[in-house]
Amino acid sequence: MVKKLSLALLSAAFAFSAHAQDELSLQLNGFVDSYHALQLRSPQQIMSSRTRLRLEMRANYGEASLFSSVNLAYNGIIKDQTGAFLREAYFDYAGRFLEVKAGRQIVTWGVADGLRLTDLISPMDYTEFMANDYDDIRVPVNAINLKYPGESFSAEVVFVPVPEYFVIPTSDDNPWQMPVPNGMRMDLSGTPAKHIKNSEFGGRFRFFLENLDFSLTALRTFNKSPVTVVNFDSETKSAVIKGIYEPMNVVGGDVSIPAGEIVIRGEVAAYFGEPIALKNSMDYWLRKSFNALLGVDWYAGDNWTIMVQYMHKVIMDYQSILGTDQNTSMLTARISKEVLNNTLKLSVYGMLDVDNVGFYVRPVADYLLNDQITLSLGADWLGGRRGTFKTYKKNTQIWVKGKFFF
Amino acid sequence: MKKILIATLLLSASFVFAAEQNARDIMIKVKDRPDGDTRSSSMEMKLVNKNGGTRVRKITSYAMDVGADTKTIMFFLYPNDVKGTGFLTVNYDDVNKEDDKWLYLPALKKTRRISGKSSKTDYFMGSDFTYDDIGKRNVDEDTHKLLREESANGFNYYVVESTPKKEGEIFSKKLVWIRKDCDVVEKVEFYDKLGKLHRQMISSDIKKVDGFWTVGKMEMKNVQTGHSTELLFLDPKFNVQLDSKIFTVNKLERGL
Repeated sequence: MVKKLSLALLSAAFAFSAHAQDELSLQLNGFVDSYHALQLRSPQQIMSSRTRLRLEMRANYGEASLFSSVNLAYNGIIKDQTGAFLREAYFDYAGRFLEVKAGRQIVTWGVADGLRLTDLISPMDYTEFMANDYDDIRVPVNAINLKYPGESFSAEVVFVPVPEYFVIPTSDDNPWQMPVPNGMRMDLSGTPAKHIKNSEFGGRFRFFLENLDFSLTALRTFNKSPVTVVNFDSETKSAVIKGIYEPMNVVGGDVSIPAGEIVIRGEVAAYFGEPIALKNSMDYWLRKSFNALLGVDWYAGDNWTIMVQYMHKVIMDYQSILGTDQNTSMLTARISKEVLNNTLKLSVYGMLDVDNVGFYVRPVADYLLNDQITLSLGADWLGGRRGTFKTYKKNTQIWVKGKFFF
Repeated sequence: MKKILIATLLLSASFVFAAEQNARDIMIKVKDRPDGDTRSSSMEMKLVNKNGGTRVRKITSYAMDVGADTKTIMFFLYPNDVKGTGFLTVNYDDVNKEDDKWLYLPALKKTRRISGKSSKTDYFMGSDFTYDDIGKRNVDEDTHKLLREESANGFNYYVVESTPKKEGEIFSKKLVWIRKDCDVVEKVEFYDKLGKLHRQMISSDIKKVDGFWTVGKMEMKNVQTGHSTELLFLDPKFNVQLDSKIFTVNKLERGL
């Protein structure tokens, strides 16, 4: 009922905003892709086998448009990933002084590559952890986005009545299932109630200047990746790992400065009221934290691109009872090279969890067979001493993918 | 005797300087050939490998002059895997100023500020044209020498040799044939670092559109690999009414 009403409202807004003299144009695009992954370690099981049709439809009418994208997917491994899934569906109006984007949409902020400091509105779908294309990992949100579009400056506000949260793999048929100690179960259902007081809202100012881009952001949000604590369920008389979601305020910004062949990127964010689990996993405290990222992109010519990032997090008012180190950091690197008249792209993306000495490396070769078909061969290599990457060490895999665009 | 030698050297130097100055003036005339304050065009590129296999790229572009500088925005329309990708450039006339560049990647829904120096020598979308060939290379990035004047096909040409001043370019020199009647570049030969012919560009379908001389087709062939690219400029328009807000990151992210 709500979906039907939303679509009716979107259509009405679309009709209302268009001018009589404008012509309607329709576009239909999309792709079919098929992805199959094999575990490299024993028992060498099929980690993923999925095929989907992505349909993207856009109707333009003057300054207004309606856009929707839908996945029709078959997943041979994870049952609940088979079906029709609406990704985005929004109404868009571009006035000279005001732009409106309302509906289900992916919101991206910040300049970090694959890391999230201020980019907190659209959470991550970790159904297959990070073994997915980055655009598939982002979760769309139902939002209203109002923007003033200036020439070298823009200002926008975003309102998300019901925030979305991280998708954590918990189903038994998922090889990427988050491991839970024997005799315990995980309960991540405790997301905040759908109430106006639990809405998410924020604003961003962006500046695009000669040799300098920067933005300033403020956001009232939640820790969308749950902090987990252990509770005792008196009914089942068993321990439950419970997900905690708390409201938090974020202020931050980002900057990009080109200098010769390189671009220096920076992003900072202060989180106020971030929940941090205690060492004993029985409770959590709210703390301020400061997060900073410095990145360097080197456009070395001859189709080489090298991107390196360092991210650091500091928890303020730290006490040793907290279950996380006061200072934690992450290093990432992305190297890519295109050859054979840009028909073959070789790339590798790596993350290093410095404190846990955990790593994730994703080498990929993408070959453009023709204008419609791309064939890809890649691997996801995970490991380390501690932390999430070590948890998924057994999931190290190779994969193939074919993608047909239309 | 010594005075005669010095006078001869000075005279020779002044001739060389005059020849360079003359060649630079010719190249300035080419660059400043009237093309209106704003322009729009659709481009279709056909990439042909040595086995005859073809790929197609389609782009729409808009440009606006702001004083001596030029703003350009391009949207990739085809193939569909890059559809929606946008490229915004502010090309500064001042040779000492790096261009401003932004790239919008629809798959990531993100705009990246990219280096002003980047891409210039990279090939554009897998074609045989570099970003420099497609855009406006600053005249003073090269030293120019008028080699000769010649006639062919009923037209008169200047033949200018241009040598990059900085290292890191993909060509060691280029020979440029310029039609005298319309200041249009009709042919360019690019030589590699070893001095061997590397690429050859030929313009055709040279005509007046809206009162401005324009090229309808450019063909670039890499003579070393056998790969070639045919670039068609479809529906070129000059002095079209364009809002300056088209040349913004906001528009880049919204697309056409």
